Amino acid sequence: MLSYIVRRLWQMIPTLLGVMLLLFTLYTLVGGDPSYILAGKSLSAETIASIRTQLGLDKSLPEQFLIFVKQVLTMNFGTSWSTQQPVSEIIRTRIGPSVMLLLTWQLCSLFFSLLFAASVAYYKGSIYDRAVTIISTVAMSISILVYIIAGQYFLAYKMQWFPVYGWGNGFWQNFLLYIPLPLIIGVAVSVAPDTRFYRSCFIEEMNQDYVRTARAKGLSERKVMLKHVMRNALIPIVTGVMSSLPYMITGSVLMERFFGIPGLGNEILKAVNSSDFPVIKAITIYLVIAIMVFNLLADLLYKWIDPRVKLN
Amino acid sequence: MSQDNNLTLDQEKVETQVPAQSLSSLAWKRLKRDKVGMISLLIVCFYLLLCAAGWMGLAGENWRADVAVPNAPPTFATWEPRGTQVNTVTAPSGSADQVDDDNSAAAPDPLAALMAQADKHESQYESKTTKLKETLILGADGQGRDVLQKAIKGTSVSVSVALLGAFCAIVIGTILGAIAGYFGKWVDDVLMWFYSIFTSVPDMLLLLSFAAVLSRGISTLVLIFALTSWTYVFRLMRAEFMKHKERDYIKAADAIGAGQTRKMFRHILPNVSHILLVQFSILTVGMIKSEVVLSFLGFGVGIKQTSWGAMLAEVPAELIQGYWWQMLTVTVFMSVLVTAFSLLTDSLRDALDPKVS
Amino acid sequence: MKTPLVRISNLKIDFKMEDGRYFEALKRISFDIPHHTVLALVGESGSGKSVTSTALMGLLPESNTVIDQDSCIEFNGRSVLAMSKKELRRLRGGDIAMIFQDPMSSLNPVFTIGDQIIETLQEHKSMSKKAARQKAIDLLTEVGLPNPESRIHAYPHELSGGQQQRVMIAIAIACEPKLLIADEPTTALDVTIQKQILELITKMQKKHGMSVLFVTHDLGVVAEFADEVVVMRHGEICESGVIEEVFRHPKHPYTKALLNCRPSLTYRPERLAVIDDFLQGEAYQLPANRSRGYQEGNPVILEVNNLCKYFKIKTGLFRYIDLKAVDGVSFQLQRGKTLGIVGESGSGKSTVGHTIMRLLESTSGEALFEGKDILSMSNEDFKPLKRRVQIIFQNPYASLNPRFTVGQILIEPMLLHHIGKDKQEREKLARSLLDKVGLAANAFNKYPHEFSGGQRQRIAIARCLTLQPDILICDESVSALDVSVQAQVLNLLQDLQDEFQMSYLFISHDLSVVKHISDQIMVMQQGKVVEMGDADSVYANPQHDYTQKLIASIPQNPQWFEANLAL
Repeated sequence: MLSYIVRRLWQMIPTLLGVMLLLFTLYTLVGGDPSYILAGKSLSAETIASIRTQLGLDKSLPEQFLIFVKQVLTMNFGTSWSTQQPVSEIIRTRIGPSVMLLLTWQLCSLFFSLLFAASVAYYKGSIYDRAVTIISTVAMSISILVYIIAGQYFLAYKMQWFPVYGWGNGFWQNFLLYIPLPLIIGVAVSVAPDTRFYRSCFIEEMNQDYVRTARAKGLSERKVMLKHVMRNALIPIVTGVMSSLPYMITGSVLMERFFGIPGLGNEILKAVNSSDFPVIKAITIYLVIAIMVFNLLADLLYKWIDPRVKLN
Repeated sequence: MSQDNNLTLDQEKVETQVPAQSLSSLAWKRLKRDKVGMISLLIVCFYLLLCAAGWMGLAGENWRADVAVPNAPPTFATWEPRGTQVNTVTAPSGSADQVDDDNSAAAPDPLAALMAQADKHESQYESKTTKLKETLILGADGQGRDVLQKAIKGTSVSVSVALLGAFCAIVIGTILGAIAGYFGKWVDDVLMWFYSIFTSVPDMLLLLSFAAVLSRGISTLVLIFALTSWTYVFRLMRAEFMKHKERDYIKAADAIGAGQTRKMFRHILPNVSHILLVQFSILTVGMIKSEVVLSFLGFGVGIKQTSWGAMLAEVPAELIQGYWWQMLTVTVFMSVLVTAFSLLTDSLRDALDPKVS
Repeated sequence: MKTPLVRISNLKIDFKMEDGRYFEALKRISFDIPHHTVLALVGESGSGKSVTSTALMGLLPESNTVIDQDSCIEFNGRSVLAMSKKELRRLRGGDIAMIFQDPMSSLNPVFTIGDQIIETLQEHKSMSKKAARQKAIDLLTEVGLPNPESRIHAYPHELSGGQQQRVMIAIAIACEPKLLIADEPTTALDVTIQKQILELITKMQKKHGMSVLFVTHDLGVVAEFADEVVVMRHGEICESGVIEEVFRHPKHPYTKALLNCRPSLTYRPERLAVIDDFLQGEAYQLPANRSRGYQEGNPVILEVNNLCKYFKIKTGLFRYIDLKAVDGVSFQLQRGKTLGIVGESGSGKSTVGHTIMRLLESTSGEALFEGKDILSMSNEDFKPLKRRVQIIFQNPYASLNPRFTVGQILIEPMLLHHIGKDKQEREKLARSLLDKVGLAANAFNKYPHEFSGGQRQRIAIARCLTLQPDILICDESVSALDVSVQAQVLNLLQDLQDEFQMSYLFISHDLSVVKHISDQIMVMQQGKVVEMGDADSVYANPQHDYTQKLIASIPQNPQWFEANLAL
């Protein structure tokens, strides 16, 4: 087990290097010269030259790449070009809200979707099944933007059930006051696709031979479903959940922007809008590392739930 | 020599009358039997036609014109009317109509000469007074532009970006996936390295990263969609090619002397094309949704173009004032297409691979 | 007269297809299963035997199954078709138990085998967990699984195929059912294991006083231990009765055909009997005996010396071990003769064929074809020789590209090797080959999925013939076919060999088939050759232990079975 973990960590290095190369190519080669942006109003040659020296842009490309590598290794990306805040501090303060939103969103969505999917698969072919499928399909066709805009408008602005946006200072204040509306909207958005996916996992398992054996043993349909099928379906479901977590970042970016939640998503939007490369690079690298570690954990979890998997 | 005994001689004769059926034609027959699938196909085709019409200039061309009162309501809704007039000025048509000036009061005017000159210039221009419409079929946006026209043009842009992006992603993903899956070994290692790089970065971040450094516009959108989505196709095709490579019919092709390219593209590719078709649908839907989000955030199509996302960007401000028709239009346009596409994808899957219901 | 354990009368079952039409699976069949009897339900694919056994348990999918109202299935006097869901559940596992063909997929992969046995016990008998666990260990001991106390915690994938099937049997007999349905339980197993499982089932049957419904396509297996037999074809019963009576004096032409078309170990007819020989109505004339064998000094077309093929298996981060699939195999193939390669799974027999054809790269050794070593040649040098050695694979459903028409499949090799001047000539050749293998001319424009397994093998044979090879490797080419179809394909292969003087490497695990078609036999075990010699002498006088064990595993047919062939 330990050797497997070591080997996986070892394998992450080329990937990380590759990501760094990609980012480097994008921001240094394609992105153009940022010194003009930073110079602001004064376009004198000296200002621009001094900024370029500061940023190290006067060095050769390989040297610049090495600087980048050093930044990643020391986890120090300098300061933000727009706010002059140290990048690491920005990240440190913004992680909390993002994680709170993402975690609650994923857990709630998982709970409701599993419930729906199991019931729908159990009554497969019935009107209930078809109705849920159709409603899910239509629900999925509406852009997340519309959900957020409409949700904000009706539930917060019109009905005044929730604050339209904002963020507080205490954990409980945030959790009980500011999270609910984004949470409700988020779950509404993700329940439909998740239910469809889990349903297909269940149905795939229900067509397997061992289900036939279970029925031949005289087990009730309920037992077959909840014990045999569910346990096997967990394998692709967990895989799906673990691999979709990184992708919820898309949704959280929008949520944070609309609801004024000071998280990483909001931060990166601001950074992209103001061409604040250090912040963009830092957040991207951190997220990439987080995702790789997360994938490793996912694989270990996979090994635990599927006895057939051999880690070697 | 006797025939296979599973058929009597009579049955064998009957078999000969039925025309040969390729797997594709069988799939088409299955699809035709699926009512939901056929309706979805029709809707999708309608949208595709609309898209083409938009590009050819047959529809939605006039979306930039301010033809109505700002935020004019749709004709089917009840609303308090408001009206204004505005003068529109068109280029010289060539004729010089005199406009009677009501300047009979005769005080000597030091500017009279200049005014006369100005009048002469002015007379070369036709002055038309147009009354702005008070309602349009689907209403107007904040600048008085026709929402219906915008929606049609937006359809054109959003759908074609998605289709092109999906197509490019499929081409890139298939070629790379085929090479990786078929040849294996170090080629596979290198391509998997590329794959891991692109998949380690979450989609949104990757899109934003690209959007941050490239200029806005339709071609940029297509490029970044293709660059972020090729990985899904790559993974699928790599697995499929690895699987098919071990199948007996490829070994048989090997035995009769077929070369690598022939085996990959003449033998394996037709056997995975149905997967590609379904993937194309799925990717298109995903890209439509992504384009909407990106354009909304300001990273998609430029200011000169409109798209569903650009339209949605105007909505929050409108909603506060109580103007709901642009949001409704975009939502309905988009929702109908995406629903139809999704249902079509499901029907395609069932028609092409009728195993799991 | 005691009521039979199972009475099936007038059973008619239709299946609804996706295009709305109905497929008649069972066309009003009736038979009984008495108490304490082993009844064999024999039929080829499409006969409806599996449908019958599944219907007995009430396990047919409700959505597209139509059971006729006049149909009746009675178990111990009670109607199964009229039972409520709850009653059916008590019936299943408790009174009737079933074991299936593929034990690996029939066991739940995420639960231990102990849990799966205990589950059955707790479902039908209210036992405490502790008592159930003990009973599970007892059952595993009874079915012959070594180390039951520790094995009880094993997962299905950790056991071999034979062991998995033993576990399935343990689950089945756990609640002392009155009827055990065995649906092709040994088809997926090696010959030696097959014998063990059959003996186990027989032992259990006698010990627990059950009846067994043994569903199979293999008459040979059945003769040894069944009491009664029912023969089915196309959803109808052709014949039924006490086994000795049916085998000695078969009345239905299909039964006669089935009994005779299987290759025998004692007699080698020039042509195997096929169904048509019996359906025509005339009496069947047993052809003359064909003698086989080889003499030293005949021209040798292929000489293989010390062929080795090792696969590298990763065991650690940087460690590999060699899997010796083929380890020092040498033989000589004489022109116009057949060398049979016999072995069980994992013996390396298929690897030998693949390596000679250079589908796999050999590790060492040489294969001399007309004096030249084809294994060490470059690709360009080998290209012209490639067409002279061809192969027919086992699975007829996988060896033809489903997207090509038959015509395209046949013409492709011609295009690659520049056979035929123009399109017309190639088409003409293709059509003539279709005729030669016994397919209708209009097959040219059809697609593989429109043909049955046997017909597809013919197409594969025709494909090889386009290249006029000198050597044909038959890699388990008839193993996936029904017995009657197998006979046709074997006859075809024999006719082609007679006509074109091709030399065959016939690879198979089925000893009777190999003996029928081979002049020389090579027995392989775990990559090595353990015995080689003239076909008749190897069977009459096996020298090596393994060969003896293999031959002993062939179902021993009672004397009256062999005597039949003189019909």
